[in-house]
Amino acid sequence: MKFKDLYKYLLLGGVIIIAATSCKRDPNDPGKEYAPNMYRPVGYEPYKQDAANPVNPMGLTMRLPVAGTVYRRNYRTSFGDGDSARRDLMVYNIPADSISVSERVLKNPIPLNDNTLAEGKVLYERYCQHCHGATGAGDGKVGATYKGVPNYASDAYKNLNEGHIFHVITHGRNRMWPHGSQINPEERWKIVHYVQKLQKGA
Amino acid sequence: MVHAQDSTAAAGAAPAGGAGGGDAAKGEALFKNNCAQCHAVTEERVVGPGLKGASARHDFAWLSKWVRNSQAVIAAGDPYAVKIYNEYAKAQMTSFPNLSDDDIKGIFAYIDKAGTAAPAAAAAPAAGGATSGGSASAQGGGPSDLFVLVLAALVVVMLLVLGVLLVIVSLLSKAVGTETENVNKGDFMARLGNSLKGIAGDPAIRSATIWIFVLLVLKATIDGAYNVGVQQGYAPKQPIAFSHKLHAGEYKIDCNYCHTGVNRGKSAHIPSANICMNCHGVIKKESPEIQKIYTSIENNQPIEWVRVHNLPDLAYFNHAQHVNVGGLECQNCHGDVEKMEVIQQRSSLTMGWCIDCHRKTEVNTKDNKYYDKLVQLHSGESKEALKVADIGGLECSKCHY
Repeated sequence: MKFKDLYKYLLLGGVIIIAATSCKRDPNDPGKEYAPNMYRPVGYEPYKQDAANPVNPMGLTMRLPVAGTVYRRNYRTSFGDGDSARRDLMVYNIPADSISVSERVLKNPIPLNDNTLAEGKVLYERYCQHCHGATGAGDGKVGATYKGVPNYASDAYKNLNEGHIFHVITHGRNRMWPHGSQINPEERWKIVHYVQKLQKGA
Repeated sequence: MVHAQDSTAAAGAAPAGGAGGGDAAKGEALFKNNCAQCHAVTEERVVGPGLKGASARHDFAWLSKWVRNSQAVIAAGDPYAVKIYNEYAKAQMTSFPNLSDDDIKGIFAYIDKAGTAAPAAAAAPAAGGATSGGSASAQGGGPSDLFVLVLAALVVVMLLVLGVLLVIVSLLSKAVGTETENVNKGDFMARLGNSLKGIAGDPAIRSATIWIFVLLVLKATIDGAYNVGVQQGYAPKQPIAFSHKLHAGEYKIDCNYCHTGVNRGKSAHIPSANICMNCHGVIKKESPEIQKIYTSIENNQPIEWVRVHNLPDLAYFNHAQHVNVGGLECQNCHGDVEKMEVIQQRSSLTMGWCIDCHRKTEVNTKDNKYYDKLVQLHSGESKEALKVADIGGLECSKCHY
């Protein structure tokens, strides 16, 4: 009978469609892509590389800057009240083992005011708080596991000067590893302001 | 210094070798403030050695010299000092020149007192942790139980509906009459089959079935076509099993700590291995996953993370613009990253999704002179707040150029 065939085909078609669509997508599969030549960059872009670069070592498209390269923003910086307050050359070449030099030489070029202190607090929360704790007592969540995180307000630490703090952020000290690659000098000096506030006890 | 001379005299007077007669209560405060970060009162090694029994091992003069300036003691060639310095990988102990003799005596009095009491106290927090873990897992089970219950109720309701329908079918087939009389009345299935055949043969029902089928296929096709290029739910296996749930969720490390570019530039940045080493240079060194980072650093070979959120090259997106200027939280677009064991793309990242947010989101114009005139113009035309769409958030060339 004709209608029987019709329902058979519909049933068959339905089973095929359900079988084809009901499987959960493999989480490793990014899915189908339409016109990949509009999706993938033609030029070399960082973080968007999907084939090995034949020229560079290890097939990388990104390359390290030449040794000694100075980031322009560290070279010419502006902060303070209005854009005219310009201080140049925030470049520090004090080696990691010369903390006493930093203590003597370095002065915080960023004026201390409510704005810079507030910015310092935000930066402190981003880069320091998980170890050093909200009040600088060394009681952050990571600090509790990491151990050896000092209390800023304790006798041995409360009098350390700004150059010392800047140097420690840049190059690390004892158990603390260098953070210079994550935080630029201007941000470091703002953090120094906030740390000095915490040294006085929050 | 007068203090130093006094201290040797005091140490000579105290026969037990250690810092007898210190004020333990005062010492406790000092210990917690200055020493507890690196030393335990038990024999447990934290950063520096456990201090239980230290006052019995050394006389007070040695202890006070060490506390005030350990480097000087090492430089003087004291054999025990040199031994312990080398044992602890030449980590320098912070000097505490400001601590008075009484302070140091107090600290060691506290250590002697607490070191014996500590094992009992240490057991208590562990038990507390276990109970809180239990309650958390019970809470986690709650929603899924409810879900199962709802499903079961649905199945029961559907079975009831099916039963009612069958009763109706049998009644109807009885009413239709003649054809069913040929069949044995007790054979329910045969009667059901006959009536279904009757229904299937009906041209109206046949064409309706065909149409429903065609429409369903059409909808599935359109849905499928719209999902081409949408990678929502993409959660690839990464070369290192890094857990955002542990780092961002449990340890509360700020997203910015590793994704340093998010406030400064187009890309949020995948952290390089040196940022991992800020912690993992010291902790969890033995884990096979962390070992992969060491191997990568030793061979100067980059870790090939798999990028999860891929925007097509024809669309421009800038993180700093959204996070720094717009003040958006990372979770707005990336979902609850702090709860993800494996990172997954939660939002669709389609153009409709972008536009939708640009239409809804109000611009924070407060205390920003840049927007003053725009707000003034906008409030003349519209009563609604200034949205991203009003300042060019829907312009094609903002993102496509």
